[in-house]
Amino acid sequence: MHLPRKERHAGDSRSQAGAGTLLLATLLITLLLVACSSGKQSATHHLLIYTPHGPDLLVHFVARYKAAHPETEVQVLDIGSRQILERIRAERNRPQGDLWWGAAHTTFQTAADDNLLATYRPTWADKVPASARDSQDRWYGTYETPEVIVYNSDGVTAAEAPRDWDDVLDPKWRDKILIRNPIPSDTMRVIFGAIIWRSIKDTGSPEKGYDWLRRLDTNVHEYTADGTFMMQKLARREGLISLWDMPDARLFKEQKGLPVAYNIPTSGTPVVTEGIAIVRGAPHEDEARRFYEFVTTTESLVQAAQKFYRMPVRTDIDRKQLPPWMNEPFTRLPLDWDVLRQQGDDWLRYWDTEIRGRGSRH
Amino acid sequence: MPSLRPSPRWILLLITLVVLLYGVVYPNVDTIATSLHHDGHWSPANYLALLSQRLALEAVFTSIGVSVATVILCALVGIPLAFLFERYSFPGRNVFATLAALPLVLPPLVGTVAFIFLCGESGILARVVQRALHLQEPPWSLRGWGALLLFHTYTMYPFFYVLAGAGLRRIDAGLAEAGRSLGARPLRLLFKIVLPQLTPSLIAAGLLTFMTSMASFSAPLLFGGNVRVLTLEIFTARQRGDQPMALTETVILAAISLVALLLFQRYEGTRKFAAAAMKGAARRYRPLGTGSTRLLAFIVGVICSVGLALPVATLLLVSFARDGQWTTQTLPPAYTLANYSRILTQRSAGEVFLNSLSMSAIAALAALLWSFCVVTLSMTMKRRVSRRLLSLLVLVPWALPGTVVAVSIAEAYGEPSLLLGSFILVGTFWILPVIYFLRFMPLVVRALQASMEQIDPSLPEAAGSLGATWWQRFWRVTLPLAGPGAIAGTLLAFVIALGEYVASVLVFVPTNRPVSIAIASELRDFNLGSAAAYGVILMAMIALSMIVAARLERSASV
Amino acid sequence: MPLLVLHNLSKRYDLTPAVKDVSVEVERGEFFGLLGPSGCGKTTTLRMIAGLEKPDSGLINFEGRDITSLVPEARGFGMVFQNYALFPHLNVFENVAFGLRARHKPKSEIAERVALALDLVQLPGYEKRNVGELSGGQQQRIAIARAIAIEPALLLFDEPLSNLDVTLREETRGELRELVGRLGLTAVYVTHDQEEAFALCDRISVMSTGSILQTGSPRELYVHPAQVSVARFLGRNNLIRAMRLSAMKSELGEFKTLAGGHILRLPVRTAELPPLNQPCVLAIRPEQVLISKEKVEGENAFAATVQEIQFAGATSRLRLDANGLIIEAFVIGLAPGVVGDSCTVTLPPERIVLLKE
Repeated sequence: MHLPRKERHAGDSRSQAGAGTLLLATLLITLLLVACSSGKQSATHHLLIYTPHGPDLLVHFVARYKAAHPETEVQVLDIGSRQILERIRAERNRPQGDLWWGAAHTTFQTAADDNLLATYRPTWADKVPASARDSQDRWYGTYETPEVIVYNSDGVTAAEAPRDWDDVLDPKWRDKILIRNPIPSDTMRVIFGAIIWRSIKDTGSPEKGYDWLRRLDTNVHEYTADGTFMMQKLARREGLISLWDMPDARLFKEQKGLPVAYNIPTSGTPVVTEGIAIVRGAPHEDEARRFYEFVTTTESLVQAAQKFYRMPVRTDIDRKQLPPWMNEPFTRLPLDWDVLRQQGDDWLRYWDTEIRGRGSRH
Repeated sequence: MPSLRPSPRWILLLITLVVLLYGVVYPNVDTIATSLHHDGHWSPANYLALLSQRLALEAVFTSIGVSVATVILCALVGIPLAFLFERYSFPGRNVFATLAALPLVLPPLVGTVAFIFLCGESGILARVVQRALHLQEPPWSLRGWGALLLFHTYTMYPFFYVLAGAGLRRIDAGLAEAGRSLGARPLRLLFKIVLPQLTPSLIAAGLLTFMTSMASFSAPLLFGGNVRVLTLEIFTARQRGDQPMALTETVILAAISLVALLLFQRYEGTRKFAAAAMKGAARRYRPLGTGSTRLLAFIVGVICSVGLALPVATLLLVSFARDGQWTTQTLPPAYTLANYSRILTQRSAGEVFLNSLSMSAIAALAALLWSFCVVTLSMTMKRRVSRRLLSLLVLVPWALPGTVVAVSIAEAYGEPSLLLGSFILVGTFWILPVIYFLRFMPLVVRALQASMEQIDPSLPEAAGSLGATWWQRFWRVTLPLAGPGAIAGTLLAFVIALGEYVASVLVFVPTNRPVSIAIASELRDFNLGSAAAYGVILMAMIALSMIVAARLERSASV
Repeated sequence: MPLLVLHNLSKRYDLTPAVKDVSVEVERGEFFGLLGPSGCGKTTTLRMIAGLEKPDSGLINFEGRDITSLVPEARGFGMVFQNYALFPHLNVFENVAFGLRARHKPKSEIAERVALALDLVQLPGYEKRNVGELSGGQQQRIAIARAIAIEPALLLFDEPLSNLDVTLREETRGELRELVGRLGLTAVYVTHDQEEAFALCDRISVMSTGSILQTGSPRELYVHPAQVSVARFLGRNNLIRAMRLSAMKSELGEFKTLAGGHILRLPVRTAELPPLNQPCVLAIRPEQVLISKEKVEGENAFAATVQEIQFAGATSRLRLDANGLIIEAFVIGLAPGVVGDSCTVTLPPERIVLLKE
């Protein structure tokens, strides 16, 4: 009778000791962490950047900036551009971030209309075309991204590949097209928007554009959730054709080594401007301006072009320093961005409820 | 513990009420209130608008359908596996039994990546089948109901497997023997004796599965094809900037989950269950005697476990594959260590792991402490209504999608508020531990409740009769006895929090950037290999913490 | 022909043998006991009869049929478990009806037989009760009712009374014996309680460490235990280590006790004689020991001192020291004398049993 009780006793104290150790360890980790974060407080300047740019580009520019400004502690929140918009909206009463680096200009314009951005006129303000800047200086364009028709270069020869928007509707591409879900994607919103805007411009109604999307839907193999998965699936030949932006297509082809190629639509393509802006009420506005200027010098833009496939918006850059493909001429599709921004949601909603996934049933 | 003296009870009540008020009631009342506002007035207009939309209604029913189907499929996979591993002994049983719980700890982001590489239409399995049968087209596509349910079943069946296994360990084996001696054949035994006895475990598992499936977002987004579920509608509404509609749909989603909870609880209350096995036939693993059944069980065990471990193996493979090289081949053609060296040379890699570890540990331990408060309090509550209300409130965060929990907390504590004064939680390190705590404490509470209810009430009473105070009884008797269950629940919460993404992405700050954000970042840049490498390291840490916890559990359950 | 025959049953768990070569024959209508200390293999034997365990070797015959590998549900034996194993999610009626439903009996017959079984265990009208509401004794009766409701060909009891308090146990024991007799059932009853086994069983097998030591009627076992362990297990016994002295002089064997060096004579059959000059064990029940205050001459009588007296109401127990040989004796009524008195102890030859080790 006595022995089992003794054993249980031992068990008790051991488990308590175990739980105690766990607790202690956690407390230590916490202390360590607090110590770490307070250690960071010792830097004299701070900067918090919200950006959708990936780690490759970020690591490069942040490291260069720190080399130039060692007294600054740069912190980066790397999330999607839509998430940045939501975050800045949520933080409007107590802004946390200083600089918003990267997103389609339509998203910036929405933020500007919501009064979320501060005005700042960069030193190079007159070096960008009027279409690539906010008239009230709340955002400026940095890179531009023409939209293109991407195809798997192992599965499709350059001769066969669609050359213009309407070519992708050809029945021979039935079940061969991959489209990134346009609802959360600026790129796809712009492409779909351009198609519908073309219809409105020609006929006064979006009907013809919807019809185009409906015909596209019959050819679509899958609407993928995400751009990375879309490229992945294209490379792995789940589909052969896609619509995406030119710099990414280049990057995937040359840097990541995927078997992809692209055609710039002959009738013209919408060009999205990637922008940069300072958050309204930014806690470190001066530092934000410094970084703003730093990443938009001609030198930085050339680096971004050479290393990260970003086409600069600034017109005063020596084009010879840019990769040759950036200098190939192409037709720009004129687009009323305001209409797109204001009615885009309704168009997409119509697409989502009436067109998406119904093509095969027509 | 009927003789709880007033002072500790008041402390417990106070802690419980404060946490519920701050964490559950206040943020969600805000959400409900917003959903009931239209053009600045109180009005049910948002709900009426939703009811008038065919697609929104379709989404409601699709969500329920998907969840019910998920529950059924998970039960069909999880319960037989639990029987196989709990009732029979065969070579390798322990290893396979552990492997079978693996999907529970697969981090969500990389889990989907692994799943796509394995089961997608250009994945390893599809390519193998395609090559073997010389097909022109891939044999299947990973889209629609089938794919969605496959992924749901894979990730959620462990709820059934783990809980039914624990339940089987608890049932008195003598009952089945009594049934047999009375002439009941195996099927009758299963349906009349064993399954009714398992009911509490199965209800708990069904409820967790149903709620998880209702709140599931990535799976329908990635694999759903044209299957429209509520979470996707909420996402779309938010993308449109239609906040009132998103909130309205959220309230409906939560309401469905909570109605399910009430239904399940109602059933739970109508039955009586044997609390603990008495002396008698000691339960042991039945060795599978004859060669053929033994072999069969072994084969089934191997197939299940290997099948379940395949996504993990795929993840490992991807983490060593050279990015961009793997296109039409069945397996990656080129291997490299570059993915690991890439992330390990980044200064931020160490930080994100430290952040995730410390925040998950803080959240899990807080959940453990709080669970003791809640469960102890709930056991002293005399009125069933208040007990029900308590467990309902505790489960609310689990019934909500992670995004919603994060948004409601961020909205409620994003500006100086009545409850926190001038302290603003948003933008601090603590926001993520708080959200992890809220999201995952229902798991700990449930696990602890299950093990506390099994403690023979005469044990604390005996301690009381020996003169132990309430705290002594708690520390010396209740805690050690409830230890294994509590550790298991805490570990589960810790592990799931380690890979949390959907809520983190909305509110993280640079000082608490978790691993999942680093993974998402790599994925955005098409660095699939690096993302997988993060995932593999994360899983290694999870495995390590499970081993440590198993040690703790063993020493606690002497 | 016996109703139930166990032939050389053996069973191991992992590597430890639980039951070794057990052979038993149970007659129709017999109340048969398996008696032994815990861990002796009696429950395993019972579970093999029930079919809940599969013997590693050996045969089980029932009504002349080999049922060794028949599944339990096909045997039609009723079993009453130590912890009753009542189904907690079913009420009393559903518990008792369980076996009948498994046999797909018509509803009316089920109702009738459940009522009858509840009558038999004296719990009529308890149908709708929840088993959790019942007392231990009532649960016990429900467990019995459930087992007899299926009209079992054989009734198996696994220490069914051990969870009851003493008075209830004795009361239930009587009822159980009466009930089984009235229904004309054959029963196998496992217990570690010698008194219970003696009161209930017609015949008993005494088991130890997996083997049967001796089988016989309670009286036989008590009076003529064959082995030291049986003698030790069944009631109090004086076990005296002794050495056989010489070859047969008369019909009485002659032994010298190792302690005290007394000469003891007892009738022995030649076949049972242990070898000369080898230690052996003699046993005599305390109630057979005679004590007198006067000096007495005669066979197996020698002087002793009273060392201890325990008063137990109707009897008294005395510990006597006869020159180093400690003898225990029961006397009816009050003990003669007090501690320290000297007396004469007589061990009647015909009451002494020679035991096998």
